[in-house]
Amino acid sequence: MEHEPEFWLTRLFNDYLGAPLASFLNSIGHPAANPNRPWENWIVIEILVVAIIMVLFAFLRSRLSVDKPGKLQMTFEAVYSFVSGQAHDAVDHGANKYVPFFGALFIFILFMNLIGIIPGFESPTMTPAVPLGLAVSVFLYYHWMGFRAQGFGKYLLHFAGPMPFLAPLMVPIELISHLARPLSLTIRLFANMFAGEKVTVTFLSLTFIAVPAVFMGLHVFVAFLQAFIFTLLAMIYVAGAVAHEH
Amino acid sequence: MTRKMLFLVGAILLLASPIFAQTPAGGGGGTDLRLPFAFLAMGIASGLCGLGQGKATASAAEAMARNPGASAGIRFALILGLVLIESLALYTFVITYVAKT
Repeated sequence: MEHEPEFWLTRLFNDYLGAPLASFLNSIGHPAANPNRPWENWIVIEILVVAIIMVLFAFLRSRLSVDKPGKLQMTFEAVYSFVSGQAHDAVDHGANKYVPFFGALFIFILFMNLIGIIPGFESPTMTPAVPLGLAVSVFLYYHWMGFRAQGFGKYLLHFAGPMPFLAPLMVPIELISHLARPLSLTIRLFANMFAGEKVTVTFLSLTFIAVPAVFMGLHVFVAFLQAFIFTLLAMIYVAGAVAHEH
Repeated sequence: MTRKMLFLVGAILLLASPIFAQTPAGGGGGTDLRLPFAFLAMGIASGLCGLGQGKATASAAEAMARNPGASAGIRFALILGLVLIESLALYTFVITYVAKT
């Protein structure tokens, strides 16, 4: 991809924290592409988003009140009931165990998608690495939940399908479909965010007035939708892994 | 009627076979043609995606007209279906960028 001018925070990170990251990356065997400036835009903005979320929730925590909820509390109660309601719809019982993960996933992806709309910032989800990391974490999470809910052996027997003689057919199909899940999650989130930016930039180069703003508005809608879809699919995968046939 | 049309379209597409006779400009087999084919693939993917999403939206609108009480569930299914169909066209978009390297 083209070399973009460095985000101001990335420049700060590179100037002061460049050497520790470069030596850390060397020690784990993946040296940085440019050893003098190892910090990239996406990781710096991810850290910024995490800091923003933590500050926001710490502020919210201090303002929680049962008798007189303020606007912020009501907003986040709405978000919570939305995520929890979806989780209870998707997973039959025991949804409460998974709501923290889904809520964190939804809010993290939403904030990362939306921060790219602010002029001067770029969405970390625009680089393929970030959605890949999220998709791999969802993959590991739902398999781990499956192991925990059903036991190691019984969960693996799921791949053999409903009847034993179908196993040679079902195992490759199930394997491929399970491997396709992180792939599709990654590409869906990455391509939507990347395409949103490219389309806005393209229309910005064609017509300077009004039309790119329409595409940015569409991009806001798509940002919400993609965060929701990622979380919903994570819920469906967890539900599939945890489901008991009664 | 449609079978005749399909045969006609196939025959016309075969008229383009001289393209295989051209000497590769990039000095290798077919390195020149990756990008045009990627663009064509993007066009086909977007067209078919449009058809699929149109069908989904039409069914959703009709269902909401028949049963306005179930609008919330139908709207949810519509959004879910549209996003999943959209993602198929976006996979092809990503391949265009892979072909650019």
